[in-house]
Amino acid sequence: MTHDIEMGSNLRNCMAASLHIHEENMPKMKSEGELDKVKGLEPEEMCEDRNPLCTNLPDKSTNIKEDHEAPLPIIFGIEAYKKLPVCKVRSHQVNSLQRRARCWGIFQRRYVSWSETFSPGIHPSSRREQDGDVAMRDAHVGPGVRYTPYAIPTYWRRDSFHRGDQTHGNPERERKPPEEGLEGNRQDGTSRSWFKVTFPFGIKYDEKWLLNLIQSQCSVPFNPIEFHYEKMQVQFFGENASIAFVLKKVSGKIWDEENERISIFVSPSAVPHSEQKKLKSTKVKLIKKTNIKGYEVPQRALDLQRLHSDPDPMTLDIEMGPNLRNCMAASLHIHEENMCKVKSEGELDNVKGLQPEERCSDRNPLCTTFPDKSTNIRSILELFPKLLHLDDHKIPPPIIFGNEAYKKLPVCKGNVFGSETLKNIILQFLQQYYWIYDSGDWQGLLDAYHDEACFSLTILFNPDDLVPSCLHKYSKGSRNMRKLKDPVLRVQLLKHTKRDIVDFLNVLPKTQHDLSSFVVDMCVQTEKMLCFSVNGVFKEGECLLCIVNDQLFVRDAGPIETQGAFSTPVPTLSSSSVPTISQEQQEVAQAFSTQSGMNH
Amino acid sequence: MTMSMALTRLYLDKATLIWNGNVVTGLDALANFFEMLPSSEFQVNMLDCQPVHGKIRVFQEQATPSQTTVLVVTSGIVKFDGNKQHYFNQNFLLSAHSTLNNTVWKIASDCFRFQDWASS
Repeated sequence: MTHDIEMGSNLRNCMAASLHIHEENMPKMKSEGELDKVKGLEPEEMCEDRNPLCTNLPDKSTNIKEDHEAPLPIIFGIEAYKKLPVCKVRSHQVNSLQRRARCWGIFQRRYVSWSETFSPGIHPSSRREQDGDVAMRDAHVGPGVRYTPYAIPTYWRRDSFHRGDQTHGNPERERKPPEEGLEGNRQDGTSRSWFKVTFPFGIKYDEKWLLNLIQSQCSVPFNPIEFHYEKMQVQFFGENASIAFVLKKVSGKIWDEENERISIFVSPSAVPHSEQKKLKSTKVKLIKKTNIKGYEVPQRALDLQRLHSDPDPMTLDIEMGPNLRNCMAASLHIHEENMCKVKSEGELDNVKGLQPEERCSDRNPLCTTFPDKSTNIRSILELFPKLLHLDDHKIPPPIIFGNEAYKKLPVCKGNVFGSETLKNIILQFLQQYYWIYDSGDWQGLLDAYHDEACFSLTILFNPDDLVPSCLHKYSKGSRNMRKLKDPVLRVQLLKHTKRDIVDFLNVLPKTQHDLSSFVVDMCVQTEKMLCFSVNGVFKEGECLLCIVNDQLFVRDAGPIETQGAFSTPVPTLSSSSVPTISQEQQEVAQAFSTQSGMNH
Repeated sequence: MTMSMALTRLYLDKATLIWNGNVVTGLDALANFFEMLPSSEFQVNMLDCQPVHGKIRVFQEQATPSQTTVLVVTSGIVKFDGNKQHYFNQNFLLSAHSTLNNTVWKIASDCFRFQDWASS
């Protein structure tokens, strides 16, 4: 594009620029741990690769006025819940920023896969969970996923992708020690089938009455473990998948004596403390093999009957295929008497730790505890949603309908300008700004910034990493608050006033921005303010860097500010035009050329 | 209550989300949008924030006092179900709203983009 770069008088000044630089060739994000590709999130898809959807809704303009006041204490989250952490904002945001980082860490999509309502770790602010705002807080639940009954819950798929996050010391994750949490089990492939059941307002129910109610809903004997009242709630644990299944289903569909609905939260759980001592930990790791002593074990099928009906000890080398991996929610009940010897890499002799809840009367030790076959199969499919064969029978693909239909990412689109007029304004601004920036004319940039502008820079790798030396100059000024904890440095690295900003920019390497790579998202537009993001590529010396992310706020300049600004004529970029200039202009141009070091 | 409903409540009534160039405005549209997104896991590797000059009144049609505003930028990795993982950048404008008892921050603007959006 060739646009004359003359900044309109209404677009000078004030930017809060936040530059984020990533190394283009950085193949992986390195964390304090090792972050490999996302393992475990490679389920066997029943359906084709998704084609993106398209949404397109108009945005709206807003009115903005400026004012100046002292910042207020911050409560992140929604109004009513009083237990939210309080983040206090002061002029030097030290601890509050750290706490805010904790709060932002929460702001990630988390869905509980086992229930349509929140896991017990998240407490509704009122009895009427459907109304009002919902409090988000540090929850001990893992990164659950959206309730998708035909997808493997992703918290069962924790992997190095998550380990990388964990080793950041991510406070909001609050990982439990392996003996209490689920991580070790998932990685080992150990089957865990404990569930935690919570009645959010169970405090008003008598224990006996409540247990009778639950038993009345279940066709199998129900044995709650560690039944207790906690604040407003009733909580207990269970090991029977069928019970969990039933409770999940009846949540909101049963009523108490006051004719109010009873909500039930069901979530996977670590082994309760009281049971940990009883339970023997076992690692059952199945390694892939197509022929096992005459058996043919298709990758997608786990023949539970064959596994344990063979009286001979056998070595099972069955790798849990991607669709069965991490299905630790499975409730495998193995009759001790008929337990076969299963060998794994860990040289385990017995499948230990999978304590049967009850004895099975038939010889097939592997079964759920449902009385009829169809319910049995259904419950297994709930736990192994991508199973294609069960007991040598082919299972039809799951039917997906309703809100849990096949979800696709929207199509990714280009620039968002809002209007043609704004597009021209923004493009002109960017062209002029980066022309000045790349020319090294830092004085020229002074005019572009408001007196009280803010600037900060972040870069996403450690100085110790093997990166081009040019990038080290950026890392010195990096203000990544995920890693930078020093409160003094945090303040120092937020540049304030245009003089400080330009002085800081002056020490950065000389650059060359590729305007053709720029992608602009205009976020906020008012009569006096524009807020837009810019992503693109720039080059520094011989280094080809990638992705510059600028967030610029531009506000209308006052009359005093406009006087005298840009008194030096800015050369146009239009290569096709040859402007005629007077003698006087030639002298000015010559002087400018000499001072700036440019040849034209 | 679903998680998408909870997420939507973090936004102002007339907040706008720009998601890889898709513009989504208003709570209803936001709720639908989040509902349609596949489940995801985010890892935030970078976080930075700046105060926005003074208070600005964002998305207020009536003559209400203008609001303290904060810019928050993040970056990291996200994995949506059924898709490869992406590096992402996300910027928020948070706007403070005070009641008698406390102040609550809500999202006035949300801008999200994959770094490799063009090849997505």
